[in-house]
Amino acid sequence: MDVQLNDKLVIESISKGYKGNPAVLKDISFTVRDGEFLSLLGPSGCGKTTLLRILIGLLPADSGKISKDGRDITALPPDKRGMGIVFQNYALFENMTVRQNVEYALKLHKLPKAEVRERSEHMLEAVGLADQSRKYPRALSGGQQQRVAIARTLALNPDVVLFDEPMSALDVATRLSMRTELKQLQAKFGTTMLYVTHDQEEAFALSDRIMILDRGEISQLDTPERIASEPANEYVRSFVLDNLQAKVDSLARFIRRGGGAS
Amino acid sequence: MKRRTWTRAVIQVCVALFFLFCVILPILRMLARITPEGFRTMVSSPQFLPAVRHSVTTGLTATVLTLVLAFAAAWCLERVPIRGKAVFSTLFVLPMLIPSISHAFGLVTLFGANGFLTNLLGLRGSIYGFWGIVAGSVMYSFPVAFLMFAGILQYEDGTQYQAATVLGIPKLRQFTGITLPYMKKTLLSAFFAVFTMIVTDYGVPLTVGGKVRTLSTLMYTEAAAKTNYDGGSVIGAFLLLPAIVAFVIDLLNPERGQGAYVSDPVSPSGGAFAKVAAYAYSVCVGLAVLLPVGAFGLIMFERKYPVDPSFTMEHIRTSLNRGAGTYLLHSLLYALLAGVFGTLLAFVCAYLTARAKGAFSKGIHLISITSMSIPGLVLGLSYVIFFHSSPIYGTVLLIALANSMHFFASPYLMMYQTLGKVNPDLEDVGLTLGVGRLHVVKDVILPKVRFTMLEMFTYFFVNSMMTISAVSFLAPPSPKPVALMLSQFSDQLLTEQAAFVSLLILGVNLALKVVGNLLRRRARA
Repeated sequence: MDVQLNDKLVIESISKGYKGNPAVLKDISFTVRDGEFLSLLGPSGCGKTTLLRILIGLLPADSGKISKDGRDITALPPDKRGMGIVFQNYALFENMTVRQNVEYALKLHKLPKAEVRERSEHMLEAVGLADQSRKYPRALSGGQQQRVAIARTLALNPDVVLFDEPMSALDVATRLSMRTELKQLQAKFGTTMLYVTHDQEEAFALSDRIMILDRGEISQLDTPERIASEPANEYVRSFVLDNLQAKVDSLARFIRRGGGAS
Repeated sequence: MKRRTWTRAVIQVCVALFFLFCVILPILRMLARITPEGFRTMVSSPQFLPAVRHSVTTGLTATVLTLVLAFAAAWCLERVPIRGKAVFSTLFVLPMLIPSISHAFGLVTLFGANGFLTNLLGLRGSIYGFWGIVAGSVMYSFPVAFLMFAGILQYEDGTQYQAATVLGIPKLRQFTGITLPYMKKTLLSAFFAVFTMIVTDYGVPLTVGGKVRTLSTLMYTEAAAKTNYDGGSVIGAFLLLPAIVAFVIDLLNPERGQGAYVSDPVSPSGGAFAKVAAYAYSVCVGLAVLLPVGAFGLIMFERKYPVDPSFTMEHIRTSLNRGAGTYLLHSLLYALLAGVFGTLLAFVCAYLTARAKGAFSKGIHLISITSMSIPGLVLGLSYVIFFHSSPIYGTVLLIALANSMHFFASPYLMMYQTLGKVNPDLEDVGLTLGVGRLHVVKDVILPKVRFTMLEMFTYFFVNSMMTISAVSFLAPPSPKPVALMLSQFSDQLLTEQAAFVSLLILGVNLALKVVGNLLRRRARA
């Protein structure tokens, strides 16, 4: 595959299986462009989290190749890939304060003290937690904990960040505001973002492009607009579009009845 | 990546070798000593069949009584809103801090020919024999069953009872239809845990068994006292049976989902009658726990109860002259060594099985929980046979090792469960941040589980202070632990000195528990 100038990640023929499920991912190939926001959308068990773990290097693929900026990274350990990941449950270090969470890895990498402090302050500022830096994670709301996890990841300057259903534990209002913040962070740092979700609405609201996975295969990879206007197959139509349409319809009925007026 | 897999492989091989040489091979070596000839001789000896019968009958009777009493106690504290719950639950587990043999001495002090209650109530009949063994066994196995029941009752989901009440299902039907099925697995585990514990203990039957001899006393006199290892191995094989049955049943009954979600715990309820009854019952159990301890406190200062009640320090002085002080120091050393080594080993194993899953970890998990079912007497005999010609035989190390193995399973399971609840992605986050597994363990996981570590250490320590089973084989050439003085006193009927030594052990164990609780409370504040 030719590497174009703006290709960040090139994934070629990734396959993965387990004992009970021999084909979790079937020969997956796609390209992630530099600076784009790409969502991996699919129901539980379609292989999207497995794919994410393979990309970051936490799980070896059975076959296939991953390149970043034209360099083969398939065999590199997770911390040598210049990528970061934010988990669904945040996985914060509970015995450390917000600031310590962000600084921990920087310190172990033996960065100069002043730089460690500068970076953590910059990051906490960026996620709006500068005034919470002495608190422990348990004293924060879910949305704030999520922001700590993001700051901790971004502090190492990765150029690709993976998100594994990061908002599934948040309430609706927080989710909506986090969406905006995530887009702002991306604009600020120019990070390429890969975002795993099973929420159609979230994928459509956030993404430059959406990759729809069905039982380990790519159903369609395109912009939200193109997916909406030209669904590749019946699966995309029913899982994505019909579900979205149903949501829109029920909201419309609600508004027509005057439910939103009071 | 390469280096990481290497470290892990080295640790796994070390753990595997350790279990091979410290559990599997010693037990196999002991079983290999059994010849058809030796088997026939032992089984056809006149003591053997009666001993089997006595073990089964006293064991079953005591187990059933313990389960009923402990269930009632757990129910009173968890399901009825009574006052003083904290006091009662502390009292109920107090018997766990003194050796089984001390409970037998407690019975003698209260119900012996010149016992406090014998004189006070004008009782007749003898405590020695079948009912003595049953009573002593109930006393020291009660806390184990109580803790299991209290734990499971605490974590039951209350919404099903709310639903049942709304549907108009009567309380009794709720108990038989919801509570009992929910507790089935725990009841079964408790049954086998208590039965194995009782049948393999020799302290109680040795002291209050009288003419009723059980398999464990037979093993003690044959193998430990007369050093008839071949005969001892045959009895050892029999004593392994209940453990093997329990293990197979455990395997056939897969574990309930870990940390089943409790949306709403059951809130205690009950009218005035239930409260009074629960309170009265709890007071009775509390008294039954405190009476022997109080009696110990009295008789050790009286010249000769009930003949000469004048105050004396004589018994304490004699005990100290017989070496109680030095032996106590030995015990502290064993307990400390077993505590440190056992806790570390149990942590490593639990980490491997709970957070680094694979075929290997399943094997380690199986061996770890199996070690629970190996009776101390059997472990002790197998160690004597296996390590006899090794350089660590007769040293402090071997006893500490035996204690670490003997009490390994419970602390291991404590850590296994705690680690299972710790966020599963921590190590992965570390890897992606360039922070190695060891760093994550040291800086994030260990601080989080430190109180479980403390609890594990306490468990090893307390039990090493009390045990008289495995060490009765290993101690002769080594510095003797203080608890073993008790089996000596039992032969010589030195109740007053036994009372002093029992309280000494209780004091040390209680002190450790109190320090642990203070540390925990300070950390929470």
